[in-house]
Amino acid sequence: MSVFRVVLRAAGLCLASLLAVAGPREAHAQLEPEFYNDQPYAYGEWTMGRRVDDSQFRYCVDPRDPGFEQDGDVAEAIARALLLQPQRYVIPNTFEVEDLTRLYSILLQQCDVVMGFKLIPGGYPPWVGLTRAYTQVSYLFVTAKPDLRSLGDLPPGRPIAATGGTSAHVRLASYNLSLAPAKRWPIFPYGTDQMALEGLASGAADVALVWDPSFRALQKTNAAVASFRVIAPDPLPPTTLGVGGLMLRQNTFLRNAIDQAIAALTSDGSLAAIAAKFAAQAGGKPR
Amino acid sequence: MIAQALLRSTILATSLTVVTATMALAQTPAANNLASRVTTVTDDMLKNPPDGDWLQWRRTYDGWGYSPLDQINKSNVKNLKLVWSWGMTPGGTTQETPLVHDGVMYIQNSTHLIQAINAATGQLLWQYQHRLPEGVLPNGVRNKAIYGDNLYVATRDAHILAINAKTGKLVWDQQVADVKKGWGYTSGPLVANGVLIQGMTNCSNAQPGGCFFSGHDTKTGKELWRVNTIARGDTPEGNSWNGVPVEARYGASAWIAGSYDVEQNLFFAGVGQPYPWPAVLNGLLPKNADAKYTNNALYTDSTLAIDPTSGKLKWYHQYLQNDTLDLDYVYERLILDLPVNGQTRKTVVTTGKLGIIEAIDRTNGEWLWHKETVPQNVVQSIDPKTGAKTINPAVIPQIGQTTFNCPADPGGRAWQATSYSPKTRMLYMPTVEFCSNTVLNPLDPGQVYTGGGLATYNRVPVPNSDGKIGQVRAVKLDDRTDAWMYRQYAPVTTSTLPTGGGLVFVGTLDRKLLAFDDTTGQLLWTSPTFPNSIESFPISYMADGKQYIAVVTNWSSGLGRLKLITPDIALPAHNPHEVYVFAVE
Repeated sequence: MSVFRVVLRAAGLCLASLLAVAGPREAHAQLEPEFYNDQPYAYGEWTMGRRVDDSQFRYCVDPRDPGFEQDGDVAEAIARALLLQPQRYVIPNTFEVEDLTRLYSILLQQCDVVMGFKLIPGGYPPWVGLTRAYTQVSYLFVTAKPDLRSLGDLPPGRPIAATGGTSAHVRLASYNLSLAPAKRWPIFPYGTDQMALEGLASGAADVALVWDPSFRALQKTNAAVASFRVIAPDPLPPTTLGVGGLMLRQNTFLRNAIDQAIAALTSDGSLAAIAAKFAAQAGGKPR
Repeated sequence: MIAQALLRSTILATSLTVVTATMALAQTPAANNLASRVTTVTDDMLKNPPDGDWLQWRRTYDGWGYSPLDQINKSNVKNLKLVWSWGMTPGGTTQETPLVHDGVMYIQNSTHLIQAINAATGQLLWQYQHRLPEGVLPNGVRNKAIYGDNLYVATRDAHILAINAKTGKLVWDQQVADVKKGWGYTSGPLVANGVLIQGMTNCSNAQPGGCFFSGHDTKTGKELWRVNTIARGDTPEGNSWNGVPVEARYGASAWIAGSYDVEQNLFFAGVGQPYPWPAVLNGLLPKNADAKYTNNALYTDSTLAIDPTSGKLKWYHQYLQNDTLDLDYVYERLILDLPVNGQTRKTVVTTGKLGIIEAIDRTNGEWLWHKETVPQNVVQSIDPKTGAKTINPAVIPQIGQTTFNCPADPGGRAWQATSYSPKTRMLYMPTVEFCSNTVLNPLDPGQVYTGGGLATYNRVPVPNSDGKIGQVRAVKLDDRTDAWMYRQYAPVTTSTLPTGGGLVFVGTLDRKLLAFDDTTGQLLWTSPTFPNSIESFPISYMADGKQYIAVVTNWSSGLGRLKLITPDIALPAHNPHEVYVFAVE
């Protein structure tokens, strides 16, 4: 057994006992939510009790996220590192897009951390806390045009289908606005990665800007998407974001413990191994 | 042992109470007879409703929100007392407009529990529960309609329900769109010329192409027609989206019910802004070099005039082109005949979040006049002939910059409706004064979970503010002059309710209902403090020969989203919702 494992086991035991102390304070905080925009609404919140089993690492994954299997493996690794029993909750919702506030109720009732959230400075409301990143994921420019090797090869005036509002879209729009009007591309904002790729398939755009895991997942099920290829983002730098877990802001003790576990799992190569496994399955680069 | 015995007896007592309550509900023939006696609501009744009824959202087709009742008046309003109250499901929002017909009040709880209540006593008559699917948060819907023998209710999961107004039994349930794609209703229907008209909302990330109005058969719910609120096709209107394909156009929410011009058989309603808000990210900026395209984004921020029978869009007028600051021109449309340049003109009057009152000719959409109210720095000038607005370039949100705009995103006025009194010929408008430091932010925290409109509005007071954020403004519409203004610290959070008794009622974030002299603006009555803020549409009605004032308390965002500038106004954590009914005893 490595020194690392011993340290984590000790930390885990310490965590289990401290959670029992920390629990009532968290419950108290839930009884006094701040009002106005700071705290979302969970129907029947006053009937939701605090967790009763502090030996569990309760995590959520969402199958609508194409990276959810990898997120789940990371969560299991974190649980093992903290010597906690992993308790997996698969979010059953089937809505295509949901507001982030839906997670408030899930975090009160089902799990302590929802895996798979991009670490965007200023991108979250005050009630949210985030773990450190356990993987890095990129946005991709993809095309069906054989003559395009990079974004810079796209002639001015030719449209780009971007999943609207993403960090990569914001960066692209910012760069585009910096160009002389005659040098710009029209950028069409689509609601989802799939819609942006459908825009590319329909010929509405020559290039699509989408999230890597979505692209890899859709390539397996959609023949048109399978024929698309990735091009370099030049002259833009790659847009790569850390991905971590989303928690309630007040759950600071557990968040610190998870952060330590992620650091340790990064150091010993565990997270890289998980990423390599899923990259091999997807046929892309490791997340 | 003693504790167990006590517990057992408590459980027994509780069980008996529940059984008794259930039986009481089932065994109140007199009460149930009241509901069963409500008369059929005809087209003529909707055109000329009984003074004591409140049959639709703004009571009358013209959208005035005025009650002609005068038992409660300037001389006796000081004796106004609470006569009954009713607890609604706590949590979420309601922004409720109770309806009253023949002494029966109809309300919709956030959980979509629909209830009929004896409007004189507060006794429950019947209730119907619409089950929301998993994943749809319980929240209310602003208004309902009543027509024939049915109460018509829209739901957060994009259904329209017809419920028998006498019995509470479901007559039909029409799903109009798929809630899993984001569709849903936040306001309810209006019945015009026998057709139920409903506006769709939540047309954002998962649902391109925008929202729509739909017309429905009141007997079956069958959809008769649909008018898209985002223009399409190779027309000047369809090409007003800067070349962005329909599949990448979002927004144009139809989230407030409209008005109906009986004479012309025309339905007027407003449309919200493009999504996401910042034009540099929704494709409307930078401007397309191809002259074929404009970036006005029709029919956002417009009035649509729709024939309720055919569903044909007769004309439109757009108030704000390429709205990049969430400045909905979606609110109530007041149908008024007003003097303009020495002639009486048939007008539709509305006010967007900018607080600029605007009138158009309701026969053709011609713009007529405007009047500014709250401090704003968005519009630099307005063309006196067309109403076209020149926008201050400094307020347009840009990537990597903080811009300053007034009003902030909830608006100088929000969903709380303005109203009109034919006695004073004044418009009564609830307003707030505040500004915003605005920054753009991405909304891709998760692949499924997004949120917001790509901009954060940090709300701040108006520079050199007197600290009085909430106002009630009275404007003489005949000459567009100010009649009076009441100012206070707490934001005003309900619609205004003018009455035949010469009063104007309004509720506030700090949990008070106020009554003003409709001519002078003198504050004549202040209610006791309620348990929660009042964010709804107050009404007045008659039951058993007595006039009542009813209002629903709940905290529902809108103008209440002012924590940064009113941090001392505390509200209870569980957000209680209640109906409160007042009368002069």
